[in-house]
Amino acid sequence: MAESSGTTLMDLISADPTPVPAQSTSSSASSTASQPSPASASAASHLNHPMSTKTTLGEKKSKRATLMQIQNDTISVAKAALNPVKANIMPQRQRQKKKPVSYSQLARSIHELAATLDQQKSSQKQLVNHVFPKLAVYNSVDPSLAPSLLMLNQQCEDRNVLRYVYYYLARILSDTGMTPGGGIPTPNWDALADIDAGGGVTRADVVPRIVNQLTTEATNSEFEFHARRLQALKALTYSPSGNSELLSKLYEIVFGILEKVGDVPHKRKKGVFGTKGGDKESIMRSNLQYAAMSALRRLPLDPGNPLFLHRAAQGVFFADPVAVRHSLEILSELATRDPYSVAMTLEKLASPAGALQDILHMNDVLARVSLARLCHSISRARALDERPDIRSQFNSILYQLLLDPSERVCYEAILCILGKYDNTERHEMDERAAGWYRLTREILKLPEAPSLSSKDKSHKTKRPQPLIKLVMRRLESSFRSFSRPVLHAAARVVQEMGKSRAAAFAMGLQDIDESVHVNAFSDALDDAETNESSHPEGIRRTSSISAGPGRNDTIASLLAALMEVVRTTVACECVYVRAMVIKALIWMQSPDESLDELKSIIASELSDPGWPAALVNDVLLTLHARFKATPDMAVILLEIARIFATKVPGKIDADVLQLLWKTCLVGAGPDGKHTALEAVTIVLDLPPPQPGSMAGLTSIDRVSASDPKSALALQKLVQAAVWFLGENANYAASEYAWESATPPGTALMMLDADKMVAAASSRNPTLAGALTRLQRCAFSGSWEVRIVAIQALTTIAIRSGEPFRLQIYEFLYTLAEGGVQSQLSEMHLSNGEDQGASGTGLGVLITPMLKVLDEMYVGQDELIKDIRHHDNANKEWKDEELKKLYENHERLLDFVSMFCYIPRAKYLPLGPISAKLIDIYRTKHNITASTGSTDPAVVATGISDLIYESTQPAPAASNSSGLDDDLVNAWAANLGDDGLLGNNAPAMSRVNEFLSGVGTDAPDVEEENVFSRPSVGYDDMWAKTLLETSELEEEDARSGSSSPDSTGSVESSISSHFGGMNYPSLFSSKPSSQATAKSGGSKYQSTYEGYGSPIREEPPPPYSYSEPQSRESFENPVAGSGSRSYESDDEEPRKSTGTRFGTALYDFTAGGDDELNLTAEEELEIEYEVDGWFYVKKKRPGRDGKMAGLVPVLYVNQS
Amino acid sequence: MILAVLFANSVGNVLIERFNGVPAEERLHWRSFLVKLGADNLKGVKNEELLVACHKSVYIVYTMLGDVSIFLVGKDEYDELALAETIYIITAAVKDVCGKPPTERVFLDKYGRICLCLDEIVWNGLLENTDKDRIKRLIRLKPPSEV
Repeated sequence: MAESSGTTLMDLISADPTPVPAQSTSSSASSTASQPSPASASAASHLNHPMSTKTTLGEKKSKRATLMQIQNDTISVAKAALNPVKANIMPQRQRQKKKPVSYSQLARSIHELAATLDQQKSSQKQLVNHVFPKLAVYNSVDPSLAPSLLMLNQQCEDRNVLRYVYYYLARILSDTGMTPGGGIPTPNWDALADIDAGGGVTRADVVPRIVNQLTTEATNSEFEFHARRLQALKALTYSPSGNSELLSKLYEIVFGILEKVGDVPHKRKKGVFGTKGGDKESIMRSNLQYAAMSALRRLPLDPGNPLFLHRAAQGVFFADPVAVRHSLEILSELATRDPYSVAMTLEKLASPAGALQDILHMNDVLARVSLARLCHSISRARALDERPDIRSQFNSILYQLLLDPSERVCYEAILCILGKYDNTERHEMDERAAGWYRLTREILKLPEAPSLSSKDKSHKTKRPQPLIKLVMRRLESSFRSFSRPVLHAAARVVQEMGKSRAAAFAMGLQDIDESVHVNAFSDALDDAETNESSHPEGIRRTSSISAGPGRNDTIASLLAALMEVVRTTVACECVYVRAMVIKALIWMQSPDESLDELKSIIASELSDPGWPAALVNDVLLTLHARFKATPDMAVILLEIARIFATKVPGKIDADVLQLLWKTCLVGAGPDGKHTALEAVTIVLDLPPPQPGSMAGLTSIDRVSASDPKSALALQKLVQAAVWFLGENANYAASEYAWESATPPGTALMMLDADKMVAAASSRNPTLAGALTRLQRCAFSGSWEVRIVAIQALTTIAIRSGEPFRLQIYEFLYTLAEGGVQSQLSEMHLSNGEDQGASGTGLGVLITPMLKVLDEMYVGQDELIKDIRHHDNANKEWKDEELKKLYENHERLLDFVSMFCYIPRAKYLPLGPISAKLIDIYRTKHNITASTGSTDPAVVATGISDLIYESTQPAPAASNSSGLDDDLVNAWAANLGDDGLLGNNAPAMSRVNEFLSGVGTDAPDVEEENVFSRPSVGYDDMWAKTLLETSELEEEDARSGSSSPDSTGSVESSISSHFGGMNYPSLFSSKPSSQATAKSGGSKYQSTYEGYGSPIREEPPPPYSYSEPQSRESFENPVAGSGSRSYESDDEEPRKSTGTRFGTALYDFTAGGDDELNLTAEEELEIEYEVDGWFYVKKKRPGRDGKMAGLVPVLYVNQS
Repeated sequence: MILAVLFANSVGNVLIERFNGVPAEERLHWRSFLVKLGADNLKGVKNEELLVACHKSVYIVYTMLGDVSIFLVGKDEYDELALAETIYIITAAVKDVCGKPPTERVFLDKYGRICLCLDEIVWNGLLENTDKDRIKRLIRLKPPSEV
């Protein structure tokens, strides 16, 4: 062995295993030998690639040859092996040991040696020293070896051989044909056997035989045999768990063993480990206990079965430490499902002299970890409310584990106390909050005497310690460790602490029943707590110092000290540790603390190029989770997110960032929305990146996108921000056309742009601010940004009422017009070159948008004209006229829906005045607003459906009639495209996964992409690029869509869908404008409970225009209304002729040009009422000379 | 659950791997992720110095032993620290079998024994035996405790 030379895996394999060469006579063998072992050659070529088990195209051929070779060899061998005895006596059974040792030769050797075992001692040696170890190097084991292995198993006496035999049998049992084990790759044996339709040996053939033999061995009760029994049982547990028959057989065996050896008459002797003491009987008993318990651990849990529980509980007394560990693991898992029965079974053991106390001193870390979990489950179980004694016993054990020498155990105990492991998601916040409460208030009292479990005031010699101090001390010392795992784990514990603390703050600690846990220490700590949460530090600290018996530590100071140490850990060279530290800092950050330090830490951290993208996004998701716990922190978190956006634009996922923005915006509540939106727009205000400048590396206000790639990524982010702004500005500003606070007539009065802007910004600074930013982007960004900005502006124009719509209209118009003019005038200057459509490059894009707005305005004008016409002629509205109006309304709705989402039931493209007429038509023709709408966003069932996992029903197609085909096609192409590219994980599910701690998803490694998606062939990729370019070309035709996917980027198209789809939740169907404020809250609620939960658009009520108008229609019966139903309704509110009078109740100062100053007691003539405003005329002009204008309804006393 | 145990040589060839509860399609990702992790971070690392990483809620602890790098991936109760314990046991066993921190040659020579040790240490994704002597006995098919 030692003399074998060479340096690689293959040398080992090809080395001659034995100096006894034998001449081969069999033809197949000679063919193997004469060839330079294609199997090994191919294997070697595999190994030369980093990814050894990957088949690349180039290797396919040789691989195929190899497969055929191996197949030939193995099949012939297997055929021979099926009749082992016969083959044995065959004359050609000489060992064929030639120079290279291929797999087939090894296999052959096994068959041969198995056959000759009884004749030659040396063959055993050879098996152990050469054949078996070399066979191990191969990925998997051929099932056709099983017969020989079984034969060896029966006949061989040599322990080493047998051990290998068990090992290989277990591998065959566990092998599904595809589970490689490293080393040299092997073919899929089952597939190979299938190719050879005749006599191939598959796993299915041999597994029953193996199981049978192993089962027999596992039940053999001879003493000499018991070591083999252990291994047989072990090998059996490897068999796949799907087989219920085998499973029940295994349960039977295990329970059978435990029945014989499970009862422990004597108390466990400590230190029974290995060879120490004991008679033959008890040794065997202990070994069997171990084997049975280990096997039981691998079997599926059987929660309802009392026998299972009983057997598991017996294990606590076993002599074998590993068995005890398994027993505890089983119990702790059972306890999460059925704490009551577990607690009842273990009741005695938890007492101060019980067996569980012994485990505290056991030398097995994982056993103590399980103990901690077990204690946690039982001590928190609601089912045990009437047995507080049991709970406190287990609790006491849990607290004692805080003193455990192993960090692993101590941290586990801390996490348990903090309430991390609560199986019910619903109560997680409560559990967490309670956990923080416990950690900060409770104290550890070591049980002195095993006599009584009297918890109260029993502390005598050993001074009881507050948990928080123990924990802090422990963590602080951990942070001084040099071991990275320890640092990482400690940071993680701090993070969990932060989570529980945030939960406690969110729940409001006062709500937790304090009387239960009050003791001598908690007073002092209470003060500290309140001190920390709300009161100014200085005042309370002094009092708590005086209150604390000899301790001048408050929780605040303890925490501060800890966080100081945590911060220094940022210096660790391991980026994962630093990420965990940052997460911990984010969680420990509270809303009222200064943010600067954290910001600068993150900023300087991110300058390190070593951060992998996955980690960066992980931190962003942490921000998201943090926000969910404390919505007050929206602005702080957005600030932090901004650092990411600017520092490492290339690494963050725009989806994740947008999600964060959205959640913060929605969750920030009515007051915070403006600030939240501002925080997003800050991204837009950043100066463009300056290539090559390294000066600003640590400044957070400087963009560090020095390389082209990240500059591009930054561009994408800006795009995302602009899009986000367009999509959500209306929400943030609570300004909707259909809920407008602006009287409808007002817009017409103020066509002057300056005044309009002034009025707009005074009315709604949030929206005005957003508009300004977008307008700037429309001018100055890169073309991608400009396109998105224009789209965003259109969205806002469509969604907001006047004067915003008009303002945007004017802006767009100027942009388009100005462009044309400048093009004309500069044509000669720019030597005829058209600078991307008129300098802004947006002409083509703007035109359809302007067209829609034009159509809307034209429609409105015509409607007003019609109404006047009808009024003047005192005519009724005919059905055809109404029909025309309605069709126009629907047509415009269809158009508008192409640009952005609007609630069709409520949206009135023809202006508020059209509401009544349309409603009349609807009532008459039984069209409900909701069925009338085929808007995809309304039709679809919920957010989860809408997020690009399911390809949407093509909305344009269902909208049908009024749309031109090009637009429909473009839209459909867009969606199809999404379906193709939709294999990116949706951000939403990623968040959910993140929150629920799902983590088995394999990480992405960029280089692997080509390999990892073998389904994407060259053709697919070609098709993809084709689609992408065509999408670009279609951009103009499709320009109506509100998404920024004009760049053809996967991210942005996905995010647009995501955002757009999510939008319906932002609208509620409540008719009154007051409802919007509330709906903000309720939306928050829903996002809070589960982000992915489908939020359904409520079926909107058929009457959905606003309250005042409908009241108006009642109060102003139309003159000469014969048929009331039509006559009264076709009246426009503001055209009502029934003049009323009133007096001014208070002084009122006009807030705008259209408003009127009032002096109390003034007499007024009320012309009409709109949205809470009266249009009034005075008897005589006021001091400002104005006669008429708008005043608030409440300021007027109607007479 | 110990999701994966993986041994690789210095150029990233996988020598031994044992996956537990990882779907077949994710193994490739893990394999390449781990190998890349090692290539990025294991340069110049001392023998048995533990390095750590995490991905979502999955923890990774890895180290270098002679020419061989060892990776452990775990979740739930097998967090960084538990994995550190496990990797300690594994490195001890490997050193025991090979007599010293192995070169690749030695490692391959002892491949079979190492596989058997691993089989005794990690069994179906759970840590099994931790004691050196016990492992030694078990790979020779002797009962864990003897008369």
